[in-house]
Amino acid sequence: MKINWFSPLPPARSGIAQNFARQLLPALAGRHDVIAWTDQDQVAPELSQIVRVARYQPNNPPWRKLNEADVSVYNLGNHGLIHGGMWNVSQRHAGIVILHDLCLHDFFAMVLLRILEKPDAYIAALERWYGEDGRRAGEAFRKGGISPECMTQEFPLTGEATRGALGAITHSRRALADLKETLACPVIALEHPYVAADESRHHQWLAARTAAARPPYRLVVFGYLSRNRRLEAVLEALAGIPEREQFRLDVCGELWDEGHIRTQIERLGLGSLVKLSGFLPESLVEQKLSTADLAINLRFPSMGEASGSQLQFWDYGLPTLVTRTGWYASLPEGTAAFVRPEYEIEDIKAHLGAFLANPGAFRAMGERGRQVLKSHDPEKYVNALTGFASLALELSPRIPALELAGRVGSDLAQWLHPAASAYLLERASREIFTMCEGKSHDRNS
Amino acid sequence: MKVLILTSGVPFIRGGAEILAESLRDAVCVAGHQAEIVALPFQSCPPSRISEQMLACRLLDVTETCGVRIDRVIGLKFPAYLVPHPHKVIWLLHQHRTAYEFWDHPAAGDLIHYPEGPVVRDAIRQADRALIPEAEAIYTLSANVSARLRRFSGIDAEPLYNPPASAMLFYKDSAKDYFFFPSRINPVKRQWLAVQALALCREPVRVRFAGEADHEAQRAECVRSVRELRLGDRVEWLGMVSEQQKRDEYANSLGVVFPPVDEDYGYVTLEAMLSSKPVITCADSGGPLEFVVDRVTGLVADPTPESLAQAMDTLWADRRSATAMGEAGRARYADLKISWETVVENLLR
Repeated sequence: MKINWFSPLPPARSGIAQNFARQLLPALAGRHDVIAWTDQDQVAPELSQIVRVARYQPNNPPWRKLNEADVSVYNLGNHGLIHGGMWNVSQRHAGIVILHDLCLHDFFAMVLLRILEKPDAYIAALERWYGEDGRRAGEAFRKGGISPECMTQEFPLTGEATRGALGAITHSRRALADLKETLACPVIALEHPYVAADESRHHQWLAARTAAARPPYRLVVFGYLSRNRRLEAVLEALAGIPEREQFRLDVCGELWDEGHIRTQIERLGLGSLVKLSGFLPESLVEQKLSTADLAINLRFPSMGEASGSQLQFWDYGLPTLVTRTGWYASLPEGTAAFVRPEYEIEDIKAHLGAFLANPGAFRAMGERGRQVLKSHDPEKYVNALTGFASLALELSPRIPALELAGRVGSDLAQWLHPAASAYLLERASREIFTMCEGKSHDRNS
Repeated sequence: MKVLILTSGVPFIRGGAEILAESLRDAVCVAGHQAEIVALPFQSCPPSRISEQMLACRLLDVTETCGVRIDRVIGLKFPAYLVPHPHKVIWLLHQHRTAYEFWDHPAAGDLIHYPEGPVVRDAIRQADRALIPEAEAIYTLSANVSARLRRFSGIDAEPLYNPPASAMLFYKDSAKDYFFFPSRINPVKRQWLAVQALALCREPVRVRFAGEADHEAQRAECVRSVRELRLGDRVEWLGMVSEQQKRDEYANSLGVVFPPVDEDYGYVTLEAMLSSKPVITCADSGGPLEFVVDRVTGLVADPTPESLAQAMDTLWADRRSATAMGEAGRARYADLKISWETVVENLLR
């Protein structure tokens, strides 16, 4: 299969680039003819040994070249600057959308309001999916009357990301039923791919961690650290336990507001316990994770999707604290320690206390998580992805059919009374159905 | 019988399909029936319009008119052949070619340049697969069109050959020193290939091109090539010629050069045969290959300037063979028994 692969690519500071693309592209390009399309200024040179990399301009994509492939796949996440270009292409060129986040309001707010400065398009998207409520909320949000967090939860705009798509892929089985109900295109859930380290390497990490297993214990927070990563709650909890001196917290990643976090650290008297390491180059990731004792991987509100970093923590056999929400809530019991959103600080404190009481129990938890990785084989992912793409392509005539049905409906509404248009709508519907499905419509279809 | 011939086209553009529809109408009337042409305007750009026009065709009701039943509908072109009728017969001139064999053709492909091209292509293919078999019978213009229909849509259809317009008026005269190349000037007809071949000919071969360009830029490009290759004294651009002038050009030519890409049928081949002239065509030219027997009624070259030049040199240097091939072509045309009577008999059966 010839595949156009739109994705953030290393060295972009995105989990999709750093984890997902690195894990999946070797397997995908090994089996299929893949072009990785990017609008990034820089791409890691080693990537070109795995896959052909080509550049596109979001406002003037090379349609002919793109149309030479069998299918285009868009990896969409919540970062407007990183995913805005490929979303722009996806709106005009139907493909498979991999939803790396399910709550995409932040993305659309950034792209439509800040980058493209198209408030009408933003309001229209909300109205399309949520009717009058959506329109009103969007207008209130623009005036500062509703918080981004509230909009994200109430109006996630997931459907807008897959509008006109051939199909959608989620990494959250938990979200699948809702997506099937909401989206117009076929949807499947696949396990987020991950290539686990081999046993000998894992044993080295384990030995190193066991040998150094004494206070102060190393806590890590990793990734693109937006407000929903709950760092403030972690700091509050750490400051609130008497045994805080037995921990060191290493914050590795880009902070949404570093100044604010530094102020919090100072206010809570955690200056000697917390280190802000910033975004880590790949070479330092192994060193940090192989020597850490506990990873804190909270999300609230959750954007709904699977976490590549959670798989990475498991790969290192690291025990983790996760919020019992979204994809995380579906993790098997015993593979992570859960934090309830409504009792966040209390739960974090309790888990830190439990860790001090029995670090071995937490190490066993990390090991159980590592076993989960066996179901995340990239080869399986590639098989399922291409099978799904073939199915979605067979159904692609539905896309112009749905557009046509929309145009017919809105045109008739302009000049024909509903009572008079019923017959015509019925005939048009039947003919559109026959054209796109390749079989006659009957009332049971 | 009351017969409607359904076709589609671009207003103010007249070509082979329009002539064929008129010839069919006349032939149906000669056979004692009543026939009219319903020509629907077709616009392929932007591609999103195509599905609207498909639906428009599906919503047309041509089962009767003012209480009078329409006995038979003959669909010729996309999307007109999608119009439903209980007694529809399709005589397929071709499907929407840029959704099929011309999808990724470097010169002819158009849908491929649009972002929505693939989904529109797939919708056209799906509709064809689903709706062409509605017809009571399916015929095509040529074996080449039948092969494409089989290959892309999995539908079998019998070819029905028809004669060129005014077939009885073509005649033979003594051969003068030129090949004739009549066609609309565009990249698919490949006038450029003949020009490049001329530059490689060892004999002082001359070619007279007749026909208008689809776009002025295409004609200008050919003229520029001729100038750059210093072929001015060996090429003539006749432009649009009358039917009589065309027949005269055929009659007086040494042979006919016709190397298009995957032609549906190719009246040029039949007109050359009626004029007892050999035809030089190419191995990828499609329809002409159903009539040109290599080294018997003409020459089949590879689609390269070198190969085409060699074929032109061969006939230029061996006039006796050229004459013999022309005569063989005329005899083969007679053997094929191509007639409107046969076409009408099948379509109204």
